[in-house]
Order: sequence, then structure tokens, then C-alpha cells
Amino acid sequence: MTGAATGATTTWRAHETMSAALGTLAAQGATGALSGERGIVYLSAGRVVHVESAFTPDLGALLTRSGAVPADGWWDAVDRGGAQHRVGRRLVDSGRLAAGALEVCHLGALFDAAYFVLAHDTRARRFRPGAAHWLGAVRSVPVDTVVRESGRRRSLLDRIWPDSAIDTVPLSRVPGAGTTDLPARRVRTLTQVDGVRTAAQIASALACRTYHTLVELRRLAAAGLVTAAATAAPSAAPPPSAAPPPAGVPDPVGTVWDDPDTALLRRLRDALEAL
Amino acid sequence: MPGIDESLLEAMRLPGARGASLVDWISGLALGAVGEAPGGDWEATAAETAELARHVAESGSLSAGGSAGDPEAAPGPGKAPEVEDLIATTADAYHLLRFVSTPFDSTVFLHLWLARHDGNLALARIRLAEMAERLVLG
Repeated sequence: MTGAATGATTTWRAHETMSAALGTLAAQGATGALSGERGIVYLSAGRVVHVESAFTPDLGALLTRSGAVPADGWWDAVDRGGAQHRVGRRLVDSGRLAAGALEVCHLGALFDAAYFVLAHDTRARRFRPGAAHWLGAVRSVPVDTVVRESGRRRSLLDRIWPDSAIDTVPLSRVPGAGTTDLPARRVRTLTQVDGVRTAAQIASALACRTYHTLVELRRLAAAGLVTAAATAAPSAAPPPSAAPPPAGVPDPVGTVWDDPDTALLRRLRDALEAL
Repeated sequence: MPGIDESLLEAMRLPGARGASLVDWISGLALGAVGEAPGGDWEATAAETAELARHVAESGSLSAGGSAGDPEAAPGPGKAPEVEDLIATTADAYHLLRFVSTPFDSTVFLHLWLARHDGNLALARIRLAEMAERLVLG
């Protein structure tokens, strides 16, 4: 499934952080999967072709939960194209999705996951040379573009409302605050704020990219409409340490994925949820 | 079926086209760009035009008759704002921004930069709308 034909898993020692490791792998023109604490970056010939993070909805969730692709059509493409790493191609060839739509959704998911993998640059764990993602080639992006964009996104959030706790803890609506004149996207986000859910869980419920949900939530916090829930159970979220956004997020799927076989586990999970 | 690059290259075949890009109006990221960047830097152009597009997309006045404040009527993920396009003109150029509606969560617009001397704004507006639709619907 993950194209491990070229063999050995490399435990990463030479580089401290994901971005440093990615820089080296890009310079080498490497192909494979680099796992970190918050997700996996897939490289092909030194360029980023896919990123997965448990803090963001993956391409399948974005496409099926929004209704853009029927769930059975998605699974059909995964079943028929997964082993050859051609799921994306299969979706387009079978007429289920326009080529441009696939690229737009794929890049949206890639940069969304990359934000969580890179914005607080944690240690690289290991590199699996030759590993390829089952989605297959859609579009590739230079490593330095992905790293630079993730940093830019973090400063954009801080310009909106400099409180990173909003990104990680359960959120509440502020009682009595007026909500007229809000843009539609922000209204949809606000209706999901229930005193229990975190930003990542709200994004998942809306089938929206998590970073874009963070933007709406920080704007709602800046407008005085949303605040950290007073009753946030300490057991549900480790205290937000020097606050990498996802640090305290109760993982929406219950575990941190750190293996390229994540794809299979995600499929199983989604299939069980769909029963 | 056109992908992002094919769509941008098609836009560049319009008379007077100098540069074209596809930009996310919430993050300010350029998902693709061809030709010349206005101001010389696509990343800066994308961030600036995204901020403009966001203000218009979120404007209660410009999208009047819209669904602001009513969650039941709020559009689903990726639905384009009711504003269709923005036009800015300068002494020597036209800038045309066209929101792209997708069936999944996305927030993108096409940006076409035309030389005023040989650009045809009316034609470009019609063609860019067609390209935006073909990009996501095939």
C-alpha cells in the first residue's frame, strides 16, 4: 500500500525539526514519507506531493462530507486505484470530479495539514524512502513554499487575534452578544460552538479545512462572540503548553497517526463511522 | 478537462492578458500563477488581493439580499459568496477577480491582469466566468 519496496525506515537524527529535515530531503531530491509529531509529509523528487495530519480533514472527508463526491464513488476510486497510487486520477477519469476541482481540494488539504505539521516546528521522527501516498500524483509544491506559507499563516492568525488558546481548547459562545451582520461562513462556524468542541472538531463537523476554521474562530474571538470554555476539563486537554496550536487538541480520531499506513486506518475508521 | 495551470494558460490567451493566478481569499495563498505578477511578486499580490476579495465577499452591503445572520440560509462549504466578480481599473490596466464556486470547502478566486490598451474587459469577464465554471465542473 505504501510502496515500501525501496526498504528501510530511517530514524531521523541528523535534523532537529521537520522543516530542517524537509530542506535536506528537498536538496537531495528525495522521494518518501517524513513522519513528525503532527503528521506526515510525502515527497516526490524533493517536492511535497501530499501532507496528512490528524488535526485536519483529509481529502476524502472534504469531498464526501460536503457531498461533492458520493461516499460510494470515493470508496470505489480508493478500492480500484489505491494499490496503484492512482486514487486521484481514478476520481477524475471516472467522471466523478473535475481535474481542477481535484487540484483545488488537494492543495487546500495539503496546505491545511502542512500548517499543523510545520507551524510549530517539531521534531522529525523518521523518513521512509520510496513510500508513496495512495492518492497518487495530483500537484506538487516546492518544500520552501510550504514552509514559508505555514509561517505566514501563523502570523496571519496572530494579527487577527493574538490568543492561540482559541485554536486548541473547547470554545463557548459569549451570552448576549449580537450576531447580526456576520458573514455566512462565520455564522456557520459560530453555530458549531457549543462549549465542548474544539476548533479541529468544529472543522470536522463542517467538513471545512481546519486552518480556515481557525481564522473564523479568531475573528469571532476578536469580535467578542467566542471565548475559551470556562469548564474546559483539564483531563480532556493537556494544559496548552507554550501553545503550538494543536498541542492541546483532543485528537479528533483518538490517536496520533505517525505511519504512512494511516491511509488504511483512516479508511477503516471512516467505513465504521458510515455503518 | 482543465486543471489549474491549463485554466490559467487559457486566461492568458485573452487579448491584453499579462498575468493570471488562482488565489485563496482566506489564507492569501496563490494556488497557481502564470505570466507576469503585478508588482513583481505573486505571493505579495495574492495576499493583497485576497484581503480585498475577503472584504467584498463578507460585505453585508455588497452581497445585499444575502444570508448574513441566518444560519439556515448560509451557503454550504465552498459555495462562492454572492458577489461574482470585482473589477479594478487603472490608467493602463484592468484587474478582474472572479470568485469560483466549488461543491466542497474552498475559498478561491481567479485574478486576471489585463493591459488596458488591448484588453477587452467585457469579453474577459464573460470568458473568466466560463473558465471558473469549467475549472471545477469540467
